[in-house]
Amino acid sequence: MFDRKLAAKLLATGALLCLGGISPSLAQQPGLTADTIKIGTFGALTGPGYLYGKIAMNGIEVVFDEINAAGGINGRKLVLIREDDRCDPASAIAATQKLIHQDQVFALIGGGCSNATLAARDNIEQAKIPFVNVASVADGVSTPTAPNIFTAALTASIESQAQLTYALEQGGKKIAVVSMRDAWGRSRYTPLMEEFKKKGITPIADEEMTPDANDATAQVLRLKAAGADTVIIVLFPKPAAIFLRDAQKLAFKPLLVGQSGIADPAAFEEQVGVQGATARFVTISMVKHVPDDVEVDKWRKLVEAKFPGDRLSVFNLFGVGSAQFLTEGIKRAGPDLTREKLIAALAGIKDFKIDVYGGPISCSETDHRCNKYPVWISKAPGGPVKVIGVTKVE
Amino acid sequence: MLLSYLLLSGVTTGALYALVALGLVVVNKATGILNFSQGELFMFSGFIAWSLHVQLGLGYLPSFLGTVLAGFALGLTIDRVAFRPVKSSDVIAIVLATVGISFVLKGAARIIWGGKSDYLSFPPITSPDPIVVGPVLIIPQQIVAFLGAVAIMLGFAAFFRYSRLGKMMQATADNKKAATLVGIRTDRIYTLAFGTGAAVAAAAAVLAAPLTLLYPDMGFSFFIKGFAAAVLGGLASLPGAVLGGFLVGIVEALAGGYIHSSVMEVSAFIMIMIVLIVRPTGLLSFYQARRV
Repeated sequence: MFDRKLAAKLLATGALLCLGGISPSLAQQPGLTADTIKIGTFGALTGPGYLYGKIAMNGIEVVFDEINAAGGINGRKLVLIREDDRCDPASAIAATQKLIHQDQVFALIGGGCSNATLAARDNIEQAKIPFVNVASVADGVSTPTAPNIFTAALTASIESQAQLTYALEQGGKKIAVVSMRDAWGRSRYTPLMEEFKKKGITPIADEEMTPDANDATAQVLRLKAAGADTVIIVLFPKPAAIFLRDAQKLAFKPLLVGQSGIADPAAFEEQVGVQGATARFVTISMVKHVPDDVEVDKWRKLVEAKFPGDRLSVFNLFGVGSAQFLTEGIKRAGPDLTREKLIAALAGIKDFKIDVYGGPISCSETDHRCNKYPVWISKAPGGPVKVIGVTKVE
Repeated sequence: MLLSYLLLSGVTTGALYALVALGLVVVNKATGILNFSQGELFMFSGFIAWSLHVQLGLGYLPSFLGTVLAGFALGLTIDRVAFRPVKSSDVIAIVLATVGISFVLKGAARIIWGGKSDYLSFPPITSPDPIVVGPVLIIPQQIVAFLGAVAIMLGFAAFFRYSRLGKMMQATADNKKAATLVGIRTDRIYTLAFGTGAAVAAAAAVLAAPLTLLYPDMGFSFFIKGFAAAVLGGLASLPGAVLGGFLVGIVEALAGGYIHSSVMEVSAFIMIMIVLIVRPTGLLSFYQARRV
């Protein structure tokens, strides 16, 4: 007599053996099937940090769509799963836990707020899941180096180095610093001072402002009295705007060198609100294009077609750049994909050109800060935002 | 020259601190409550002024008047909604209610004005160019803020000295039981005190708005400085609040200019600690002369 139960068991065993025969990695690798790769992303989908979260994710998604339309990577389509961290450390831990353990994604790409990403770092490192950081600038995300964590964002120390290099390139002889000394400010101020020391330079003046400052008369007068020709600004947009207003009022017009905390010169000009005060202000962007550039036409069309409410922004481009980096790693890891192979492939990427970054991506076994090309942008009063140069940081 | 710049900067910010302190003292004098939402009333009023001036296109003066009225109405509403229901409870419950209101106002500001920009800019009401008079450099925007604040303080002094309502508020503050016995409705006086405190915060916000940027978290730092000024002058003394505000502003500016910018924040508090060691009830706490 035909034993149906035995036949079913044999069939199931055979199927499992066949699956194992096709690819040993599939049975072991979370988030991987014969035709899909599940990638998790986390960042702020709501609240004021959504530019670095949701909007960057939209950039990631159009890169995935483009690859999927061309057949995927080694026959596998990329599937993006989003989680909201609301720029909040506790939410970031919960979001990454869910993506790793419940959704069982193969790799992570995301992180827009440093505090949130820093909080999630331990979980990510312990899970040994490949992670590409999109926009969190805190050095602690990628330093000390964790084998599975890579950053496509500029880091605070890279930007600090670039600020001093740029000031010197522009002929700065009497370089001064005005900085905040909270956790954010110190993460930039400390490497900046180390860089001064390394170059054997002493700042001509070193002043402080609080994030809530409503007046910068004392700071401006002290810097002016010191004869500063260049001021490196390590401030949030609010105190920076107050500083620029007061500098203009007191006829102090040095070169003002900002950083990516003031990433939007057009909005900053409005916040300063005093004609001509931003004329000598330059700042750092992570990407070498402004949204109106013809070079990003392709991404504009893709973003605006997929997300009808969006107008292409630099935050979309953050996502585009980091997604190109991750997907290149997946391609290099080959068809028999494992997390270990992806980690090795990402660490081995050298001089890989990305559409939107200031220079090529290069990683190594010991240094996972893979983007070292801060882009300088400025906006002449009433004019458009322009890219004015790139500094390579060693 | 340096001294003149720093003094002008100090008296301008000091005048704004004095207004925040005045609001705190008015409420504290009349009700015995320290209103921890005073900073958020200041912040919320700044956003109202921005809406009136920038979004609706009203002139600065109509925006000023509209904001002060809105602030007054906000104070009355908060008293009705949040303070009256707990007024029979102990002081801690009422103080907690003021803390709760501060969170509500901050959240409401995020909902109403959030998502437009990180910080909202209030257009300058005078030319930003300084005027040089001999060795002194005058910044018109700061002068407007300073004179506006002084005018409000004088108006306030006149209100308490000459108006019937002001005298009733003083009487209630001095002796609530006696005030009730002579027919003053002290409940109404409490409500009026909250409304007046909020209106003063609103006036300070409109004067400060062109000098700073607006964002939902801005209230706390103004509250701390206003509170410091009020403590310095004596928490129950209106002239003390004014004196305290000016002293905090001037000490901050001079310390920043002559010592280092890193001591600006702590300088005022060091001064307050010294004053409170010498005179624990504040500089003008002796100012208790009662008009009969």
